[in-house]
Amino acid sequence: MLLSLSGEKSSQEYNLNAITGGEMSGVGIADETILLKIAEAVFSGDKDELSDVREEGLKVLGAQGLVDAITVAAGFNGITKVANATGLPLDEATESSTVEMRQETKIDEFADSFKADVFR
Amino acid sequence: MASSHADGIAAYSKAGSWFSGAERLSILKEARDASNCSLCAKRKEALSPYSLSGDHDSATDLPDNIVEVIHRVQTDSGRLTESWFKSVIDTGLSQAAYIEIVGAVSTAIILDSFARGIGVEPIEPGNASDGEPDRTVNESVFDGGAWVPLFDLPQEMTETGLPSSPNIFRAMGLVPTAIAHFFGVMRAHYALADLDFAINRSQTELIAARVSSLNQCFY
Repeated sequence: MLLSLSGEKSSQEYNLNAITGGEMSGVGIADETILLKIAEAVFSGDKDELSDVREEGLKVLGAQGLVDAITVAAGFNGITKVANATGLPLDEATESSTVEMRQETKIDEFADSFKADVFR
Repeated sequence: MASSHADGIAAYSKAGSWFSGAERLSILKEARDASNCSLCAKRKEALSPYSLSGDHDSATDLPDNIVEVIHRVQTDSGRLTESWFKSVIDTGLSQAAYIEIVGAVSTAIILDSFARGIGVEPIEPGNASDGEPDRTVNESVFDGGAWVPLFDLPQEMTETGLPSSPNIFRAMGLVPTAIAHFFGVMRAHYALADLDFAINRSQTELIAARVSSLNQCFY
């Protein structure tokens, strides 16, 4: 989760549990509620949800901010499929530097070894 | 952005490394129609997607094993397992062909997610071009612990603290044409440095993290 690196660089501390926990606020980032709504709507692909989010996003982020947020969400909606479908491990540097964060945020539950046990 | 999407959709009409233009257009059609599959819908609701068997509602004449890959990646990629991957490969699908399918489906997801996001119809491809798949495999790969071999590239640490060739790039290493297709589109959507967005880096990573979490993505 590069957000943790981003926080370190800007000397900010973010609540990463709020992201994996599905909360719509409480991370500590400007305009986070609408950004998270955009992420959820792009993932779901629901037309009505997207329409509502566009309307709200336009007011909060402006036209370019809204489009850029959708751009990022769409990209990650695709690239995660590549990672999931190839059983991709973390590179060594990331694996060693994120042990605590992965445990706290329960990201380890997305690991292939965990899924292999749960989804038989 | 516009040119990368135009190139991205045009690439479906042309032969890739393992599929013809007509077959690649069928992969795109199948990916776009997978959300209407009743088997996928039932599996999505099940505690384990592997507890239900049956036939997919297919929109094309692609072989069953290819339809299975397309539908699973499109509708429930977060619960894919290595044993499922091996079962697909055991049907005779090569790892290289698998990579090309995964790349094609994932590229379509980016194109269509963006189109739906901004409220326009998904971009449509042209007709299939003549031409045969080149059937080339990149030999410069190694076992890096993924289900598929990884591209063997020199690794240098960047100022972001991440290697210069992220594993996500190397995971498609068997099929360079799949890398070119997927990342030709993806590069317009995200970069580790020099983002020219109206939202800042932390806001960008927040969206990336939530979408990754929704997709149950470990990477």
